[in-house]
Amino acid sequence: MSTAVAIHEQAHVPQPKQISNPGGFLRRTNFLTALVSGVVTAAIFWFATDKITSAVTGPGATNNMSLPSGLNISITMMYIGWVLGFMAGIGAFAGPIRWFLGHDLTHADAEYMAGKDMGREKFWKFTTDHKVVGIQYLVVTLILFGFGGLLAMLIRTELGATWTEVFNPNFYNSIIGTHGIVMIIAMIIVISGPIGNFIVPIMCGARDMAFPRLNALSIWLLIAAIPPLVSNLLMGGIRDGWTVYQPLADQAPIGMIGYQVCIITFAFSTGIASVNLITTIVRMRAAGMTWSRTPILVYGILGSAIMGLVWFPMYQYSQILALSDRTLLTSFFVPASGGSVWLYENLFWLLGHPEVYVIVIPATAGVLEYLPVFVRKPLFSYKLAVAGIFGVVGLSAVVWVHHMYMTGWAPQSNYPFMMSTEMISIPFSFLVLVMLGTMWRGMPWKRLPMMAVYAVVWNKVIGGITGVYLSDTPVDQYMHGSMFVVAHFHYMLMGAGLFGAMGVISYFFPKMIGRYLDEFWGSVGFWTAFAGFQVTFMSMFVAGLQGMPRRVLQFDSLFNISNWISTIGAYVIGIGMLIFLYAIVDSWRNGIIAPDNPWGGKTLENFTSTPVPHENFPVLPVVTSGPYDFGTPDPYELADDAIMRKTEGAEKVSARS
Amino acid sequence: MSTTDERPLASADEPESPTNRPRSMHLVKQWLQRPYVRRLLWITVAITAVIIALSFVMVGFMNMSGGPGSAIMNEIEKTMFVLTFTCAPLMAGTLAVLTYSWWGGWGSVASGDEPTSDGPAIQTNGVAVVTWITVCSVLAAFLVVWGLVELATITSDSYGSVPANQQPNSAKPVVVNVTGQQWLWSFDYPDSGNIKSAQLVLPINVPAYFNVTSLDVVHSFWVVEEGVKIDANPGAITNTGFTPTKLGTFNVRCAELCGLHHAYMETKLTVVTQEQFTSWIREQGGTTTS
Amino acid sequence: MRRALFAFLTVLIGVAVVAGTALFVAKNGAEPPTLTATPAGTSHTSNGEVKHATLELSVFPNASSTQAGPNIPASTTTVVANAQQWPFYSPSTSIQLPAQALVTVTIHQYDTGGQIYNNWFAKPVGTVGNTMTVDGKDVPSIAPSNVGHTFTIHQYPDSNQPYMYVSVPLPAQADNATNQANGYPTPIDVTFSFMTGAPGSYVWNCEFPCGNGYVEFGGPMSQRGFMSGTVTVA
Repeated sequence: MSTAVAIHEQAHVPQPKQISNPGGFLRRTNFLTALVSGVVTAAIFWFATDKITSAVTGPGATNNMSLPSGLNISITMMYIGWVLGFMAGIGAFAGPIRWFLGHDLTHADAEYMAGKDMGREKFWKFTTDHKVVGIQYLVVTLILFGFGGLLAMLIRTELGATWTEVFNPNFYNSIIGTHGIVMIIAMIIVISGPIGNFIVPIMCGARDMAFPRLNALSIWLLIAAIPPLVSNLLMGGIRDGWTVYQPLADQAPIGMIGYQVCIITFAFSTGIASVNLITTIVRMRAAGMTWSRTPILVYGILGSAIMGLVWFPMYQYSQILALSDRTLLTSFFVPASGGSVWLYENLFWLLGHPEVYVIVIPATAGVLEYLPVFVRKPLFSYKLAVAGIFGVVGLSAVVWVHHMYMTGWAPQSNYPFMMSTEMISIPFSFLVLVMLGTMWRGMPWKRLPMMAVYAVVWNKVIGGITGVYLSDTPVDQYMHGSMFVVAHFHYMLMGAGLFGAMGVISYFFPKMIGRYLDEFWGSVGFWTAFAGFQVTFMSMFVAGLQGMPRRVLQFDSLFNISNWISTIGAYVIGIGMLIFLYAIVDSWRNGIIAPDNPWGGKTLENFTSTPVPHENFPVLPVVTSGPYDFGTPDPYELADDAIMRKTEGAEKVSARS
Repeated sequence: MSTTDERPLASADEPESPTNRPRSMHLVKQWLQRPYVRRLLWITVAITAVIIALSFVMVGFMNMSGGPGSAIMNEIEKTMFVLTFTCAPLMAGTLAVLTYSWWGGWGSVASGDEPTSDGPAIQTNGVAVVTWITVCSVLAAFLVVWGLVELATITSDSYGSVPANQQPNSAKPVVVNVTGQQWLWSFDYPDSGNIKSAQLVLPINVPAYFNVTSLDVVHSFWVVEEGVKIDANPGAITNTGFTPTKLGTFNVRCAELCGLHHAYMETKLTVVTQEQFTSWIREQGGTTTS
Repeated sequence: MRRALFAFLTVLIGVAVVAGTALFVAKNGAEPPTLTATPAGTSHTSNGEVKHATLELSVFPNASSTQAGPNIPASTTTVVANAQQWPFYSPSTSIQLPAQALVTVTIHQYDTGGQIYNNWFAKPVGTVGNTMTVDGKDVPSIAPSNVGHTFTIHQYPDSNQPYMYVSVPLPAQADNATNQANGYPTPIDVTFSFMTGAPGSYVWNCEFPCGNGYVEFGGPMSQRGFMSGTVTVA
């Protein structure tokens, strides 16, 4: 790739009148003001709703759990108040309000909002610079993984103590659900968040994302969505799996409302982020970056964003309807009053399945992105990789019923959905072929990102074959609802997804932070977690094969040994992840300073300085070749050509290549 | 520093060999001469053997609690073998490339060094791509066909048509209405005077059909060693069935989280002889009409 | 070396956080203290002389100034719920019984009720003679429309444990029953006996919809210490 020498003059754009200091209201807002505003608004909404509902239903009604709606309505309004107050307090509404008042944002305001010439404080504010948003996503992701990991350790402790109930069943049921949703949210954002925001615009050769203010909005909506979710544990818990199947969710205490409001808010955050990513990728690639020269990571994030945008509303609707059942006493999901439990299951899994590809595709594409750099060969069959990504994106829409084989909803539908589920393995296999083909005859440079590739492929193979078992309806008749399913999706989402994300983050870490991730301690953490992971989940497959159901805190003594082994493995994962976390934190502050091109890559982000300047590129680049232009001519082909020249003449040789 | 294998010059065809053979065969033979290809093939064979051995271990785990107890469970286990054997070569090939690359078969650069040269510029390989897609599609198609046939087989076992791979059964089927409730199963035998029980008792070699429902939330009726599972939904009746082929005590578990005591929503299936079944019905106060 | 120390410290802090959280939660989710059945000599049954033990429980519709609620940490129940208004079994829901014994249980029922969902639970099952005594009279089943609560002991999910299933319905108080000085009506006394086998662990819960939320199985019905608990045979 080469950068152009042409100098563009900044066109002079007439600006609106500068009303106040650049930034206006946003000069005063930050995380602290958002917190205070959120808490105050939540309290106001709670009291106001409480007064109104008591006036309507009589005194003491809201505190009487026999009348479900009173308390539920006040708690719902409290959480909604929190979200609105938090967003107001961070300054998210400043733009629209100013537009309404006729005081449009000026260029100086935009520069303030982008954090120009600000120090650390820009990370605590509503900053639009995609690099700041990327770092914010990284920190939020680490916090979510920490919390989800804590819950995982508690879960495994309960399952390992087979002779007693360590926690009471309600708490156990709540933490398995909370662990699930926290990890799912963390995995959805782990690549699209930090990498999608920080790296992708630079990799596309742009100065920022298409909608910078929406970018800030998406991260702060995510941050607003987290306290309602986490607070559920203090409000009685959700007492349900992360799928919060109705009508069980209707029996849960008010903690369930925290979950529902979190998802409704998170869906907005995801939708906004998806719109931003899609528009940036489609419209803002540098001159010369045709679709055939677009890095595969960009394709992966594009595919993931499309799936998220289309399917997340399904999940959001399911939670809105569930909340309505709870507060307004509708009966969308209450069969006795005409509702259907299957309606909920369908709405949920319509997102639930594409969601796993939202998680796995960016991780896979990220690994494919940096693999050529570490074997210094082109990406094998780039076009096949793109076809694989979009094959998965397309087919992901028509496989969801494989989560519902055993529901009895439409037994005849099991046939076509089994077919589509087996078929989706084909585009997925394209990505595996590309990975293998790139590794083929390449000399791996054994740095941590490269070693992560081996971990990812191993886990993907095991996750893949166990997925084939589960996709087969007769086998699923035994396996559904057992620990076999739990081990399978952990192999895919955590084994291929999280370990892949760890590789991707360690690859882009030097560009984002300016320092290399410590090779030794990062590897120690990574491989300790990997070893623990194999022990934990291989043993969990055994428990599932033996017949252990999922989401149970006590079980047959036949499963004791596999659970003891899994628990020990889980503790090892915990230790490994803590060491990896330490490596991240330590390298952030004391790591080896990284050069402009930390790994010798050929994508655009390597052609700007490290740390990346505020406007990304002094001059926007022009792309003249593909991003994987490595490699020397293949010696085997040269020899073949030589022989062919001898036996069949030179014209045949040039005709062939 | 490149440590790839010395590149053997592909020998020209033996002087006397005619050009009857298609050129592609010659290319394949040439490709197989490359040392790493032979090693990869051997590693693939070894890993395939390991995977196939593991499939026996897996099915062994499935039978640890007394199964298989019905033809359906037998079919499920057979399918486990078929799925594993089908996928094994491809899995093994992938793991072989993985292992070879990691072990340094094509060389490697230590993490402390910097790479000095590039690898071969292989943008794509039409043969590899076409072969891979064809093989994957054929295997996937086979798995689909196998799965569809199996599903039809066990469905006919479950829902009352003549079981495809069993002798036509002249015994009148036992019908059980299964009610899932938080947090207990209760069984009702409508043909035997509506006797009710908290345990499931069935006679051997007689088809049993279940009408499953729930009075509150979604449960899942899982008769573990018999290989059947169907959700118990409020407001609907779902069906499953099997013919027990083994005497003994088996497990009925709930496979869908249903609240506080979901883990404890477990009961027993006891498969007994016809005479024992008849006397059990009488003990419960029911009527036995043949 | 310095790095190794800090890595170790990170792991140590992580372990401390996990352990601390686990201990805090276990303490705050504690169940009521164990109530052990009182030994009562031996009894003559069709299997010969066996140990005999008695157990006395009461079911109250709510806690009040005259009757304390369950002995569980206040934080166990929903933060803003008024758990004082929930029905509960007193004095404890964690029960211990002797093995290979005949156990006689007396339950004093103070709560109203109504229609039970599943008539199967309106009959005593698993007791001696599949019957029970209500206020002195032998009663083989009660009207499904007049059930207050049930006391249903059922299986731990372990096939190695001896099977036990005992379910007894408790008749409901009339809706207009007059209250005594303590604020509750005259109790309905239900007595039943059953045999325990080898040592094992079980759970019990009420099967009557006396909670809140969907199908009234939420609230107290979904909370240990109120309408559900454990039975240990030792």
